[in-house]
Amino acid sequence: MRKWLGLALVVALVAAPAMAQALKGKVAVVLDVGGRGDLSFNDMGFKGTDQAAHDFGLEMVEVQSATAADYLPNLRNLARTGQYDLIICVGFLLGDALAQAAAEFPQQKFAIIDAVVDAPNVMSIVFRENEMSALVGALGAMAAAHYGYPNVGVVLGIEIPVLYHFEAGYRFGIDWGNKKAAETLGTGPVGLLYTYTGSFSDIALGKAATEAMLAQGAVGVYNVAGPLGIGDLEAITEFHRNQGTRSGPPYYFGVDANQDWLGNGQHGLASGMKRVDVGCYSAVEAVVKGTFTGGITSLGLAEGGVGISKFVDLLEFIDFGISAGALKPEDREATIANWAVNRGTVPAWIWRAVDELEAGILAGTIVVPTADTVDEMQAVRARYTLGAP
Amino acid sequence: MTASEVQPGGRLLRGVHRTLTGLHPALESVLAAVVGLLVGAALMYIWGYDPWKAYWALLRGAYGGSYEIASSIARGVPLVLTALTFSICLRGGMFNIGAEGQVYVGAAAAVCVAYFKLPPGLHLLVGIAFAAVAGAVWSLGPALLKLTRGVHEVISTIMFNWIARFLVFYLVAYVLVDARQGQRTVQIPLSARFPVLVRGTDLSYSVFLAVAFALFVYFLLWHTATGYEVRAAGLTPTAARYGGISIRRTIALSFVLGGIGAGLAGAATTMGLPPTYAIISGLPQLMNLGFDGMAVAMVGRNHPLGILVAALFFGGLNAGGRVMQFYGSNPVPLEMVRVVMGAIVLAMAIPELVRVFPAMAASGRALVRMLSRRKPAEEAA
Repeated sequence: MRKWLGLALVVALVAAPAMAQALKGKVAVVLDVGGRGDLSFNDMGFKGTDQAAHDFGLEMVEVQSATAADYLPNLRNLARTGQYDLIICVGFLLGDALAQAAAEFPQQKFAIIDAVVDAPNVMSIVFRENEMSALVGALGAMAAAHYGYPNVGVVLGIEIPVLYHFEAGYRFGIDWGNKKAAETLGTGPVGLLYTYTGSFSDIALGKAATEAMLAQGAVGVYNVAGPLGIGDLEAITEFHRNQGTRSGPPYYFGVDANQDWLGNGQHGLASGMKRVDVGCYSAVEAVVKGTFTGGITSLGLAEGGVGISKFVDLLEFIDFGISAGALKPEDREATIANWAVNRGTVPAWIWRAVDELEAGILAGTIVVPTADTVDEMQAVRARYTLGAP
Repeated sequence: MTASEVQPGGRLLRGVHRTLTGLHPALESVLAAVVGLLVGAALMYIWGYDPWKAYWALLRGAYGGSYEIASSIARGVPLVLTALTFSICLRGGMFNIGAEGQVYVGAAAAVCVAYFKLPPGLHLLVGIAFAAVAGAVWSLGPALLKLTRGVHEVISTIMFNWIARFLVFYLVAYVLVDARQGQRTVQIPLSARFPVLVRGTDLSYSVFLAVAFALFVYFLLWHTATGYEVRAAGLTPTAARYGGISIRRTIALSFVLGGIGAGLAGAATTMGLPPTYAIISGLPQLMNLGFDGMAVAMVGRNHPLGILVAALFFGGLNAGGRVMQFYGSNPVPLEMVRVVMGAIVLAMAIPELVRVFPAMAASGRALVRMLSRRKPAEEAA
């Protein structure tokens, strides 16, 4: 059968006009099994590369992976063609596959988001998530002090080094916010509730963890587990419905993308943004401008790689959500209005204090600790116990 | 316990011996593949893709060279083993859909070899044995439930799949986890890995394991008395019982043998698939191997040799599907690739479905009869 099919296809190809080889440059984006449509990490990787391809006049292809067994073949298939100026791997799960592919194809330029692959032809783009997490933590701690809540919460995914960056920064930020609140209001320190759910996919785990935190008086919950944030927000929305409120605490803190608009902007106070799109864009830019080098590229507040969500980001990501069909265009104005009302429930001195912390980190006068190993994480936990005995 | 409680259903096998179209079973599978490809082409055309270019990319990506063929075979290796799980039980008259869970358990057992040291060849063999035993043990649950309580295997294997899924989720996250790399289990050491057969591809020596198991199953079912008993019990359980065959024994045997096959698929995907050699949290490299195996079994007409060919076809679809994503100026996104694959699987399943629901065929025939009878009446009026 295949012989006949093959013959038919050969005939078809001969009949078809010879395929013109593209003369312009090409970039490829390889996604992990999560794939597109998460309105966050993967979609931002696509968005950034697409934007760069558009700006620099390149052709872009997107390659998804049906299973984890596809990672290495996808990279090999692309590299074998020798046509791609850059192959970008979005997500640390592709790290093992890229380490092997980079060794097999030393002439091919690669970039990877969130993982460090030690090869001369790989640009490893990592983010200083501790910096924006510190801002979110400070905001949460001061809001808790203002409203008299005893705790702030964070729901994390699998216990991996990347997530330690978030936890370390969040702890530092809460501690900073506690001190600021003590100066301003004279209140005692608030504590931290944190849960590693062990999953980046089980939304129900996020909801359950958030419910437990809300029951213990968390003023807000920071989502550091990708899609689990949907569960976090669901729990917070239900909590508000039960207590009959439409805005104010408890709040939802988004991650990676600007997730403030989720749920029509009612409970998303701020997001710890990790601009995967900026990372992908800068990788393509480096290749185009000839400045591409292997090694680690670290993006933080100063490089615009991370940040706490602002009004302009909200508008950008609302349009992102509308174009993805996740938000109805007619809800745009209501979402912005809800967001403004919710932001207004936090007094101005807190926002000024967050700006102060941001300026301090940018100026280098405030250094946010981070952690890459279990031992380093334990050291940060011991330093900022935040209510734990 | 009455005999009817443990009776396997002989009706299941009707399709293996009698085809819907009257064609030879192999030809019917080919026909279904062609129909599926045509449906896929129509879908791609409707959504604005060029079907010919896409299929050319698929064909080249699947069988266009030694690298491509090796990739396709590598993708088909676990599917051969899970397809055999389904087919052995179907030949024995049971509808066993427990391969999925048995793959998980087998993979988890294979990873356990990382905790001790052995000489290279032996380490690999011990890993294979672990996986086979784990798969077999997991299949004993549904088998014993059927034998002692008369629980239908469709229900129990679905349940056992879920139990296996969450059990292995737990093992991966908390027990077998690599302390430095929390997203996966500890890695299987070099001494317990299948060596790569074709450099620069995924194809490892695990392919010989799959082929050997397929040939073993073929020999057992068609060239031994035990295999004859299994097939006889599957075809007509009552006659087989009358002939002195212990149906309880054939049920247990086909379940355990199937469990071994699925367990080996778990071993092949963890010990024989670069670059990770570990189970990743969320099991993204194991998901659906068991269910895809059922499609392979169906296309392969539940015959070990047919399954080998069908697995090469499905492996090619998967490997070629990866290439379809970036080939040409208007490449087909993965979602569309999967729709095309779905169309092919569906076309393959139609003859099978019609057989499973004979009532459908009967009502179709009745409708035709009714219409043809009305016609003369209308003409008369």
